[in-house]
Formats: sequence, structure tokens, C-alpha cells
Amino acid sequence: MNTEKNTNSHIYWNPYFGGFLLGIIIIFTFLLTGRSLGASGAMKSSVVTIVDKVAPTHAENNAYYSKFIKEDESPMNTWLVFEALGILFGAFISGSLSGRIRWRVQHSPKISSRRRLLFALGGGILFGLGAQIARGCTSGAALSGMAVLSTGGFITMLAIFGTGYLVAYFFRKNWI
Amino acid sequence: MEFLIANTIIPTHWDSIIAICIGIAFGFVLESSGFSSSRKMAGVFYGYDFAVLKVFFTAAVVAVIGIYYLDYLGYVDVGELYIHPTYVWGAIIGGAIMGVGFIAGGFCPGTSLCGVAIGKIDAWVYVLGMFIGIFIFSELYSFFEPIYTGYFLGNITLIDSFGWNPYWTIFIFSLIAIVAFVVADFVRKKIKKVFY
Amino acid sequence: MDKKRFAKISSFRYAIMAVVLILLAGGLVILPKYEKNEGISADQLLSNIISLERYVSADDISNKLITQDPSFILIDVRDKESYGKYTLPNAINIPLKNLLDKEFEAYLNQDQYDVVFFSNDNFYADQAWAICNRLSYANLHVLKGGLNGWFTTIINPEKPSENMPASAFELYNTRKAASMFFGVVYPDQAKINTVVKRAPKKIITVKKKKRVAEGGC
Repeated sequence: MNTEKNTNSHIYWNPYFGGFLLGIIIIFTFLLTGRSLGASGAMKSSVVTIVDKVAPTHAENNAYYSKFIKEDESPMNTWLVFEALGILFGAFISGSLSGRIRWRVQHSPKISSRRRLLFALGGGILFGLGAQIARGCTSGAALSGMAVLSTGGFITMLAIFGTGYLVAYFFRKNWI
Repeated sequence: MEFLIANTIIPTHWDSIIAICIGIAFGFVLESSGFSSSRKMAGVFYGYDFAVLKVFFTAAVVAVIGIYYLDYLGYVDVGELYIHPTYVWGAIIGGAIMGVGFIAGGFCPGTSLCGVAIGKIDAWVYVLGMFIGIFIFSELYSFFEPIYTGYFLGNITLIDSFGWNPYWTIFIFSLIAIVAFVVADFVRKKIKKVFY
Repeated sequence: MDKKRFAKISSFRYAIMAVVLILLAGGLVILPKYEKNEGISADQLLSNIISLERYVSADDISNKLITQDPSFILIDVRDKESYGKYTLPNAINIPLKNLLDKEFEAYLNQDQYDVVFFSNDNFYADQAWAICNRLSYANLHVLKGGLNGWFTTIINPEKPSENMPASAFELYNTRKAASMFFGVVYPDQAKINTVVKRAPKKIITVKKKKRVAEGGC
């Protein structure tokens, strides 16, 4: 994309190529396991595990946590958690091949790092909340849902991007 | 049916290993497509970079065409795949909240993991925020429960909801995707380049 | 020159990819459609029907009933009236015409029990078996000879004649004992066995079949 900068670290794959490979991965996932991809499921498992460790009785009394707590098995022992670990590995490999790995805060030159981090935190909170209400994030609900023409997947996708465009104006300073 | 794991053609303890392999491929593709950069992600909303739209739509179209060809040839049965359940208001309200979260934070869960892997501190903070968000949801579950479990239409597809022919639906979906790509390129040329 | 031509082609590369995509998607629309089989394929069904493996004998069933084997369910496919008059112990009534009703699916589509169909003879039970087999339900059996066979072998066993081998007498005795278990009183035993034992009621609980695949995030 951004060849003008002339640094290797900003050359990404052609988006169509990436999309094609991603589509193939989705097909393989369905073919191998009958399941769909996902990312927020692993975070939910982590939260459940943490709460269960810190306050077991509280976790058992809560209607939501108790759904995921089993006597004999850790909530971390699920497919999605392993998949999320894989995502970390895969992204690390890709990042190190293109020399993109370093500690930094990425933000528009118009805003401070602090503001960027605050917005990231707020965005994360909202996304975590929304992903639970909609039972899936962009990859689990929207992308994998669309791959099997799920009505819910399409609704979620339209809701995410529709709202994104609606409110984009108010956040423009953060990005442009 | 041909789910290799579900039908124990591949033993179940391979399940986690396959999960990791699929995850690695997923993460690699996401990162290589530039999804570890929040400014690239947000570009789709301001018209300076449509990578998200292109990757997302291409993946969905390729996957759906591939799955229906496999179904046609008898390798999979679309009816037996996991169909994301449809909770109408859950999807709309959750999606709307995610939309705001997306534009504020610049990541979605999968891409934030990529950001975490390559050391983006904003991605770390974002993941921390997601933990908090999930925690809030769980603590206030009784408040959200009506939306979470209500308006359930079942694990339905567009074909069930509207009675469309699946093949025509896919064909039109592909056309929409191509039109979207053309429009996206057109818009990007009009809009001032942003370097990031 | 080569470079120029390459550049010319590559400037069209997105258009070419778009055309390929449209062709692929259009292929799905154009390809001739065929009716997909639900359940197992036709020739598989035929070979299953020809095979006699589905039959279980009345002796087997009576043995299982007496030993209170918990691993099977009896399903009476006759209508309600006949079911009310007489049926096997602990049989469940699913009339043939209601076989595909939602409420009965849990009994038929499961992998927990052996399902044994029976009617007055083989005929209707075989039909029920064929329908469920087509839907690729598991563990289906048919009681050989149906209730008529049950009567002639267990309830009212034919007394072997003098010139038959000893095994026939043994079988007769077993069947006679079995019939006594099911409540038949023989004149020579009447004095000893005044209390007629009833087969204890068995409660059948069916677990819902689990979905194999579970979803995303």
C-alpha cells in the first residue's frame, strides 16, 4: 500500500490476496471442525477463569459465568482459546518476518498517546460488551456468519459497519 | 458428514492442535494484511484505506462460494454446518455498540490480538478494555438477559428468512462485493491521502 | 516491450479477478440442480432393507425383558386402540402415521438405546423401520413375527412332539418359563404359582441428541 515510505514494515499484502486466503481458512475450519472462527470467545473464557479463581462463589452464583464453569474442566480448555493462542503466534511470525515488532503506541499525529490509549480502552470496553450481547465479534459472528449466509451474521455486520459510519464523524480527529 | 474431528476420523485430542494451526494461519493472514494497525483499520470509515472492506468482503465471498461448491459436490452439507444463531435485537444492539467500540478503539478482537503480538501498546490496552467490557456484561447479566436471550429466531440463514434461492443470493452477494470494491477505489482516489 | 505488455495485462488484473469471481458465483446458479437425499442414499437403503440383520427374535426380546435389560426400548407402531388392548411390557406407542411427529423424535433419533419396532406382524414395523433408516437414525430393529410371533413362540409355545430332539424340549421349557413370567398360568403349575408376577415398570428417559458442532465467539 504505502510504498512511498519506502520502509519494508509498511508493505502489507494485497488485500484481495489476504481476503482470499482468509476465505480459504474459513472453509477449512468449517470442513475440519464444522465450527467457525472466533476471537472474543477466548477473552470471555479468560474473564470467566479469572473471576472463577478470584471469587469462586460469586462466579457460581452469577447466571452468566456459571454457564461456562464445569466441575472437571477449566474454562480455558476450549477450542477458541487454543485458536486465539494460534492467532498470537501467527501474527508474531508475520510481524517478525516483516520487521514490524516493537513497542509503540500508534496514533494520529494530532492526538497524544494518552488520548489514544484512553480511547483504545473505551473502545475495548464497548467492543467487549457488544460482542457478548451479539454473541460474537466481527470474525465469529459477522465473517463466519456471512460465510454460511446466516441472517444473524449479516445483521451484526450491517450493525457494526452502519454504526461505525454513523459515528465516524465524531471521532475523526483521532484518526485522520 | 465429513467433519473430520466431529466424526472422529481425526481423534479428538488433535482438536487443540488443529485449533492452534488454524489460529496461526488466521493470525498470519490478518497481520500480513495490515490488520494489526489500528489506523489502517479505521481508514475504512474515513475513506483513506479500504483494506478492511476488501479483505472482509473477499473472505466472505470466497468462503461462501467455496462452501456451496463443496456442498454441491457433496463434501459438506451446508445444513449441518454451525449457523450463527439469530437474536435480532441482540445482533443489532450488540453490533451498534461494537461499531462505536470499533471506531473509538480501532480494533476488533481478532485484530487486537495481532496488535498485541507485535507489541502495539494500544492493542494491549484495547484487550484490557475488552476484558473489562466482558466483565461488565457478566456482572450486569440480569440486566442484559432480555436482549441476550430474547427475539430468538433460531439458527437461520438468509434462505430461511426470505425464501431466497441460495445460489442467486451468492451471485448477487458477489456482485455487491465487486461494486463495493470499485466504489471503494473510486472514493479513495478522491480523498486526501493519509500517511500512517 | 515485454515490460509494457506485462504492465498492460496487470492493469487489467483486478477486472480479470472480478470476472473470475462472477463466473464462479454464476457457476453455482447455472449448474444443474439435483434433489439431494436427506439421510442415507437410495442404494444403501435398499441393501439395508434386503439385509435381515434388523430382525430380533421373540426369544431374544423375552430374555431381555426378563433380565430387565435397560438397553432397549420397545415401540408399538399399531394404533392407540390396539395398544390399549394388549402390548408388550413397557412398550411405547408410536402409531405409524405419527412416526415423524416432533414429540417422538427424541425416542427414535438417539444413540442411547436399541429401538425395537413391532406391530401385529412384521409388515408395519418394517415400514417404520425403513422410514427411520432412511433418516439415518441408529440402532433400529424389528421384532421378528411381531405380536403374532410373540404369541406363538412365547405366550403359547407349541409343545414339541415325542420324536423331536432334546433341544426342542429345552427351548419349549424356556419359552414356557418365559410365558409364565409374562403372566400365563399353566394348569400343572397353577397351584404352585398363584401369584402372577408382572414385569416391573421401566421408566424410559431419553436424552436429547447432542449437536456435534458448536460455534464461534
